[in-house]
Order: sequence, then structure tokens, then C-alpha cells
Amino acid sequence: MSERRDALLTLDDVGYRYPGNERFVFEGLDFSIGAGEFVALVGGSGVGKSTVLRCVAGLIEPATGHIETPPRTGKGSRPSAVVFQDTRLLPWRRIRANVGYGLSGLGLSRGERDARIDEVLDLIGMADLGKRWPHEISGGQAQRVGLARALAVRPQILLMDEPFSAVDALTRTRLQDELLAIWQRLNMAVLFVTHDIAEAAYLAERVCVMRGTPARVVFDERVPSPYPRQRDDADLNAFAQRVADAL
Amino acid sequence: MLGRPNRAHPNALALRAGASRLRRLVLGLAGVAAFIALWKLAYIFNWAPRGTIPDPFTVPVALLNEYRGGRLLPAIASSLVHYVWGLGIGTLLGFVVGLLAASLRVFDEAHYMLARILRPIPPLAWVVFAIAWFQVSHAGAAFVISIGVFWVNYFATASGVRDVDPRYYELARAFGHGGFFKRITSITLPGAAPSILSGMRTGVGQAWMTLIAAELLGVPGMGQEMNSAAGVGAYDAVVVYMLAISLIYTLSDGLFALVENRALRWRP
Ligand SMILES: Nc1ncnc2c1ncn2[C@@H]1O[C@H](COP(=O)(O)OP(=O)(O)OP(=O)(O)O)[C@@H](O)[C@H]1O
Ligand SMILES: [Mg+2]
Repeated sequence: MSERRDALLTLDDVGYRYPGNERFVFEGLDFSIGAGEFVALVGGSGVGKSTVLRCVAGLIEPATGHIETPPRTGKGSRPSAVVFQDTRLLPWRRIRANVGYGLSGLGLSRGERDARIDEVLDLIGMADLGKRWPHEISGGQAQRVGLARALAVRPQILLMDEPFSAVDALTRTRLQDELLAIWQRLNMAVLFVTHDIAEAAYLAERVCVMRGTPARVVFDERVPSPYPRQRDDADLNAFAQRVADAL
Repeated sequence: MLGRPNRAHPNALALRAGASRLRRLVLGLAGVAAFIALWKLAYIFNWAPRGTIPDPFTVPVALLNEYRGGRLLPAIASSLVHYVWGLGIGTLLGFVVGLLAASLRVFDEAHYMLARILRPIPPLAWVVFAIAWFQVSHAGAAFVISIGVFWVNYFATASGVRDVDPRYYELARAFGHGGFFKRITSITLPGAAPSILSGMRTGVGQAWMTLIAAELLGVPGMGQEMNSAAGVGAYDAVVVYMLAISLIYTLSDGLFALVENRALRWRP
């Protein structure tokens, strides 16, 4: 558990402020994520978690510092892929076309793209719903499709922004276990943003806490329990308590 | 309904639906019949200057006369030429300009004042220039029609494009569709399609409104036939052309509705 993996993604003294805003949302962010590592980023509402994710995804440029992103790995993949809280499926595309949205421009043939879509639809257990429109599936299924769309581009790091916060508790635990199973099968890192401490502790190998204005990482520790974990595990709960204290 | 056990035959629901459809049909026809009766009364009791209200029962004869006299079909064909050209040009220009206005800041800023000045001018006010530039011709009629259609499409497209949820653009960038062409085709156009298509459909109707008025000036077509029929007091023939317009409008609108529904079948 304690061996150090090569850093896949490194944030070096990163800060950001929205255009026209004096105040930095966060500042002096320093941390890295190893290849294949599952890191949860926890913080209160409005602390800047989504903004960090947007920086890492390359959707916005940090104001200060530097982000070392994963190198492009060959054909048919993207360095990172995002799963949004609001699923953000395109209502005018069928499920299959939504899943394949990130595949164009990657040099894949039509057949390869189809195979890729089949593969990830299978992975999320929705192989027979590919022909549906987004409004014809449930909220939990929509979240799975959002995950599949990201997995389809075989990212080295999966960026997830509170992906399960809008579904009911039962679906949420199911989705968490599915995510763990998928992560263990595929060799990719995960940066998982959430404000749910129990969720962070249950899923991640390592939990980081952001706090303050401007925000910084005030807590960064490995979760002591090995997988597979029990949700009521004593070590896990003790750890979650420490995360809560840091918040 | 809810508290009572439902002992009705399974077909009862379908039967009730059928009955209500029949009811609608009967009432609808009754409404039309009442209107014709009122019309007949107006004709008998001369509610308007003598001779200006045709007998509703002579309209079918008038229809036959117009057809046999070789006026009806050529008039329809000629009107359709104006219609198709005017509608096509107005729709295309309105769409392109609306798209530019909503997606290019410079363009938007450079044209908004001009648009505000030109917009309130009714399409028919352009008839004077249409005659001056194109004489009394197909092109002149198409020109006038295209102006009204242009504005409808321009506003529908511009507002539809502006209203596309910006979060979709973020998604596009995250998944390799950030380039201009990919963004337009994968997000902007489908996102704005409901508004764009409803604008086009409004244009399909609007074009008929200006068409007839433009033709009243003497360009061959249904409007001109109406004018010359009225000139010799043949008001029943005028009604024939009015009904022809109604029929063609219903057909073209229905056709467009099919296209629209097909294109937007992703909507709940
Ligand atoms: N487009 C924007 N322009 C200006 N300020 C913004 C913008 N988006 C977010 N902010 C501000 O930046 C801060 C961080 O926002 P962010 O969305 O990253 O928070 P978060 O930690 O993800 O919150 P939550 O848990 O509620 O999603 C907030 O104070 C927010 O008000
Ligand atoms: Mg957020």
C-alpha cells in the first residue's frame, strides 16, 4: 500500500481567481496524483472544488502556478475525462451517441468506435438501452451513461465532480460499488470531488481536504483500510471522523 | 372514479376515447354548419351592400368555373413560385444572419441598431421598392415575401442560439468538440433547433399572409385573381381563392410539422 507510484498529475503552487474578481478562490495548491490512484477531494460548498477540477481538466487556465497533466497515450484515448454532477447528457443524442461523444477526433474507425461504445455500455450494465433518448432513462442510469462517456475515451485520470449527489441513497451506494469495481478493473486514476465525507472515505485510497478563503489543502492522508471495505468498518469511521475535524 | 372498483370492459377506455373523438368531430362540423347558415342569412337579408356577399351554395359552382376557365391552377402555380422563392430566401438569410448575430460579438454590436430601425417596417411597405426595382414581376413578389419571413427566422434563430445552455459548451470542450465547426454542429444547432424550427414554421404561415397582399398589386397569382374577380363582382370566386389558400396553408403547415416532429423527436 505504501509504495510510491509515479506521479501522473502534479499541481505546483496553483492558484485561480475568476476574471474580474480580486479574490483568489484557492492559492498555493500543491499535490500530485499517482498513476492509478483514487483520490477524493473534500471541502465545503463554494470552497473551489469544481474550480480545481476545471483547471485539471484544462477547461480553465490557472492564474498562478503550473499543472503537469498526463501525457497523451497513443491512439484512441484522452489524458483525462470529466463526469459531471448534472450528468450533462446531450438530450438530442441517443444514449449510444452520447457515450461516443468524446471519441471523434481520436483517429478511431467507425467500427472501433462502435466496439468501444459497446464495451463501456456493457461495463455499466446498460448494453440494451443504447437506442434510448436521455429523457427515457432514470437519474441513476443517466449518471452511469455520464460515467460511460468518460470511460469510453480511456482516460488516464477520471475527473468526477460530485457525480452521485443528485441520486437517491440506495442508487448512490450501488453506483459507488460499481465505480470501485470499474476502477479496480481499469488501470486509471480517479480524482473524486465530493462534500460527503463517508463517501470519500469509503471510495478513495487518499483523501484531501480543501478549506479557507483562499482555499488550500489542509489535510492529505491515505485511508487506512484495504479493499474490499465495509461501510461500517471501525477504522474507516475513525478516519472519517478525522476528516470531519479537518473540515 | 378512483374509489369505485372498475368493472368496465377493458375496451371501455378505448370506446370512451372513440366517443370523445366522434363528439369533437360532430361539434366541429356543427360549428362550420352554423357559420355557413349565418353566411346564408347575411346573403338573404343583405347585411352588406347588395351583391358583395356571395351565396355560399354557389361556391362549389364557382370553383368549377375557375377550374374550367383555366384560371385556378395557373394562379396557384404562380403563387407557389413566389411562395417558395420568398420563403426559401427569407428563411435562409434570416437563419444565417440570426446565427451570426448570436455567435459573433462584433457582428451583433455592428448590426443591432440597424436591425432596430428596419425591423418595424412592415413587409408590405417595401412593395413600392419592389415595383421600382423588379417591376410587377415574380421577383418583386418574392422579395416582399422574403422580408417578413426573414425577420421571423432571424429572431427565432438568434434567440434560440443565445439560449443554448452554456454548460453544454463546457462539455464540448471537455470532450474534444471545442473547435468552431464541431461546437456549432454538435451543440449550437441541435440546441437551438426547437426555436429555429418553430421560427421556420411561423415563416411558412407568414409567407402566405404577405403573398396575397403582394399579388393584389397585379403580379399573377391567387391574389391577382381575387382582385380581378372582385372587380367584376364575382365574390364567389374570391371565396374560392380564399379556400384554396386555406387548403394549401394547411397542407404546407402539416408537412412542415412532420419534418419538425421528426427532427425534434428527442424531446420528451
Ligand atoms: N463563473 C464564476 N465566476 C465568478 N465566481 C465563480 C464562478 N464560478 C464559481 N465562482 C465562485 O468560486 C468559488 C468556488 O466555486 P466552486 O464551484 O469551485 O465551488 P465548489 O467547491 O465546487 O462548491 P460546491 O460544493 O457547492 O459545488 C465560489 O465562491 C463561487 O461563488
Ligand atoms: Mg462544485
